[in-house]
Order: sequence, then C-alpha cells, then structure tokens
Amino acid sequence: MLLSARHIEHHYRGRCVLAVDEIEFAPGTITALVGPNGSGKSTLLRILGFLETPTRGTLTLDGKQVRTRADRLAARRTVTLVEQQPFLFGGTVKSNLMFGLRTRGCRGREATTRVTEALQTIEIEELAERDARSLSDGEKQKAAVARALVVQPRVLLLDEPASAADRASKNRLYRVLDDVRQAGLAVCFASHHLEDAYRWSDRMVSLEGGRASPVTPENLFRVDIPPGTGAKPVRVGDLEIHVVTDTSGPATIALPPDDFIVSKSAFPSSARNQFPGRIKRISEDTRGRVTLTVDAGPEFIVRITPDSLAELGLSVGSAVVLSVKAVAVRVF
Amino acid sequence: MDFFVEGLRRGAQLLLGGDAEVLGITLLSLQIALVSTIFACAVGIPVGFLVGTSRFWGRRAAITALNTMLAFPTVVVGLLTWGMLTRNGPLGGLGLLYTWWAIVIAEVILAAPVAAALTAAAVQGIDPRVRRTAMTLGAGFWTTHWAVAREARFALLAAVVVAFGRVLAEVGAAMIVGGNIRYHTRTLTTSVALASSQGDFALAMALGLVLFGLALTVNVLLQLFQGRGHAA
Repeated sequence: MLLSARHIEHHYRGRCVLAVDEIEFAPGTITALVGPNGSGKSTLLRILGFLETPTRGTLTLDGKQVRTRADRLAARRTVTLVEQQPFLFGGTVKSNLMFGLRTRGCRGREATTRVTEALQTIEIEELAERDARSLSDGEKQKAAVARALVVQPRVLLLDEPASAADRASKNRLYRVLDDVRQAGLAVCFASHHLEDAYRWSDRMVSLEGGRASPVTPENLFRVDIPPGTGAKPVRVGDLEIHVVTDTSGPATIALPPDDFIVSKSAFPSSARNQFPGRIKRISEDTRGRVTLTVDAGPEFIVRITPDSLAELGLSVGSAVVLSVKAVAVRVF
Repeated sequence: MDFFVEGLRRGAQLLLGGDAEVLGITLLSLQIALVSTIFACAVGIPVGFLVGTSRFWGRRAAITALNTMLAFPTVVVGLLTWGMLTRNGPLGGLGLLYTWWAIVIAEVILAAPVAAALTAAAVQGIDPRVRRTAMTLGAGFWTTHWAVAREARFALLAAVVVAFGRVLAEVGAAMIVGGNIRYHTRTLTTSVALASSQGDFALAMALGLVLFGLALTVNVLLQLFQGRGHAA
C-alpha cells in the first residue's frame, strides 16, 4: 500500500473533528472523498498531505511509518496537496511551477521542459508568463494543479479541484486525473458533487461529522446510452430502463433507493419504469428506515417506511412491482 | 523670528560650505545607525519570525515582553548598558565604554525589539496558506520561511527602516554610553543637544537640518515600501 492512515483522530480546541479508523491509497487508483462542508474532508487531506500532524494515529508511506519531522519532510516530496482555494506565490505562473522543482534541486533546461509539459497537460500554456495574482479563481486552480503535477508526486491530493471550473474545464481536469492515475499515481479528491465522485472515482469514501464510511454503490449500473436526446431506454441485463439524458455512449446510471414506489401489482401511472420482482431481503436500520433488496433481474436496493411495509404486508419472497420515473434515474 | 532665520542661514552655510566637523558627525551617525540596524535586524527578525510563526509555550508572554521593550525609555537602556560596560561592570574589561561600539550595543538593545515586533506582526499577517503551499511542494524549514519572508518582504523592509530611524534619532543612550566625545562618539543628536546648551544655535540648526533630512529620507522610503506592499 502506497499511503495509509490508521486510527486517526484529530482534535481542534478540545473537540474531536476527525476520527477515521482506516483509509488506504493504492497506486493507480482514484478515491473520491465526499461529504458536506465541514465534514472534515479538508482536515483529512491536510493530514494525509503531512501538513498537519493528527492528535492520534499513524500514517504509513511505502510501508514505513512516518514519525519524525524529517520523515514528514521526505513524505511531502511524495505526497502533494492542492488546496481548494490554492495560494499562488507572487510572480508569474511559471515561477510558481518552478518553486517545487527548485526545492528538489531541479533547475535549468530540465526544469523549463517539465514546466512546459505540466502547463500543456492542464492546457494553460498561455498563462505561463501571467502574473499569478491576476488570474481568475478557475485559472488559479488549474495553475495549482499544474504546480502539483510538475513535481511528479506519487500521491496527489486535491481539495474540491474543480469548484471554480466551468463544465468543460472540469471534465478536462478529471480526464487529466484519470491519465495520471493510469500512470500509476494514487489520486484522492474531495468533492461535494456526488456526480463527479461517481463518474471519476474507483472508490468513494464518505465523511460525515468527521467520521468516514465507504460508500456502497446502490443501484449503480454501467450502461451504454444510445444516441439521441430526451427519454430513451438503456439495457441492464434483460431489463430495459428508461432514462432522460442528452448524452450518449458509456455512462453510469444510478437509481436512488428513495425514489422507488413499491406496490403489490402493476398500476397505471406516469412512471416510465415498472419492474416486477421478488423481495430477497428486508432490513431495518437504526434510523427506522426499511431497506428492501428486490430481485428484478438486476437487484435493486429500495427504501420505504416501516408503515408501508406493514400496510402492504410484505415479507421475504413477496412479489412486488417497483416503479420509478425516467427523470429520477441519474446519469453520470 | 530673525533669530531662526539667522540660525537657518548660518546652518545652511555650514552645510553647503562642507564643514569637516559637520560632515564627520553625520558620517559617524550614519555608521553607527547602519551597524546597529544590521545587528538589531540580525537578532530581531529571526526572533520576530519565531514568535510570529511558531506555536510554543509562553508565546503570548513573549509577545507582551516584545511590546513592552518597544516602550523602554532610552535613558534606562543607556544606563543599563553603561553599568555593564563601566570599568567595574561585568563587561568592563572590554574597554568599550565611550567608544562608538558602546553606542552600537545600546542601540541594538533598543532597536532589536522594534525589528522583532514589526517582523512578528508582518509574518502573522501573512496568509497561512503560504506556509502550507511551500511545505506541500516539498520545501524544507529554510525554504518555507524564505517563502513566507518573500510574501512579507515589504512589511519586513518597513521593519528595517523603522529600526534604522529609531537608532538615528536616539539621543539619551548615545549620550550616556558614548559620552559625546568630539571626533569619536559625537553623533548628530548628541551634538545638537550640546550645541543648543552651549548657545551655538547655528551649529545646532545645521545638524538639526541634516537629521531632519535623513529622517525625511527614511520616512519617504518607508512610505514607498508600505505603498508597494499594499499594491502587491
């Protein structure tokens, strides 16, 4: 494992703001850190970037525990963080990219070549000689990503890297992350955009109130969307699911567990999708929600209230019909 | 009023005529001020950095101590330095009393806290992201601090200029430890004090004009740095 953190606890003014039992990053993977603002994403990233030392817990890089100040300095040569509102040093964009190279003793022609390459990767060559302070927020983010890439880290951490980007630059940025992942980097980005997280990561970790839990992909299917606009059917196994989207080609669709209507038989409605199936599992969680696993060809996770469960008289093995509107199906 | 005009006229004459003594006093004052500023900043700026950027036990007390030292009466510092350097004092053996080095020692004690306090304020005002950014890009201890100093450069220059100004304008300590000895430890401020007490208004005025000119230059420089600091 390239980078891992165990039993991390971080206290701020006597309050525990982060408690992560275990998180690991392997080379060639993209992890998305999702969660609302203030859930501890930035703190966790700073700890993983060796910029803050957690109150408790251990960090391991390349199988070796990082303990001392010297260890942390060495670790920062391997792990680089791009902050959400990155700070650019006074001077040109190019001089900003040079900073990290100089700390590694890389100068002259080699440095210039690497800077040019990094700027090309992010497609901001035209900003090279611009005063860093005169950039827009979106340009600053791109310059900061280039500045992180130019030092060739093995772990790249990014805090909301596309928060100031328009749609086109956002996709370009994530494509770059996908490229560097394929080159063997471990990438981890924080985002409160679930769509970005689903679309661009191999794995999602959700943070809430400083606590981490893996996101179990519920009702996610890889599909091939036919060309055309508006409502169209896609195939998931033998099932045909109607979606509304203007995109086409390979995509991921998600059917939110809360958006299903469960009935004992088919009924006329506006819902474009009606899937007959059979209940495989019923479980009730601590918050009093009932989760059904329904086998309708593919399996669907469906959430209903305990009252509905009781009124419909459902049990494992009951035949049900799941209805869901085409517009409720999310496409990533 | 004639008295002032006459004083100014004769003062200007002395200056424009290139009076050797006035020139010597001016150069000595500048020499003492420059050397003192260099030492004061060599001590004060690192201390200011430490207090401004690190978190350590007693940091608050250190800041209070620094700010108190800013208000140290100069004659008291002069007196303490005199006590250290006088023949019976702990450093009496060095034989520094009534030399220009004695003035430098007193001025360093006075100006180092100024440099430290202004440096601390300057680096505290720097965005915390500067440090984190330098660190995440692989910078070590010195490079990280260098990056912070670069972002704070105008405020740091201002600290140097203010320290220089304080040394240049100081009279009490210079008088006590320097002794105002002609050609040796007579500075602009001490000779103004002497000339006025001797009733040589023209000489006092001439030296006063030089002092005023230097103070003006220093403050114009300060304005310039601060202006650029805000613009950056």
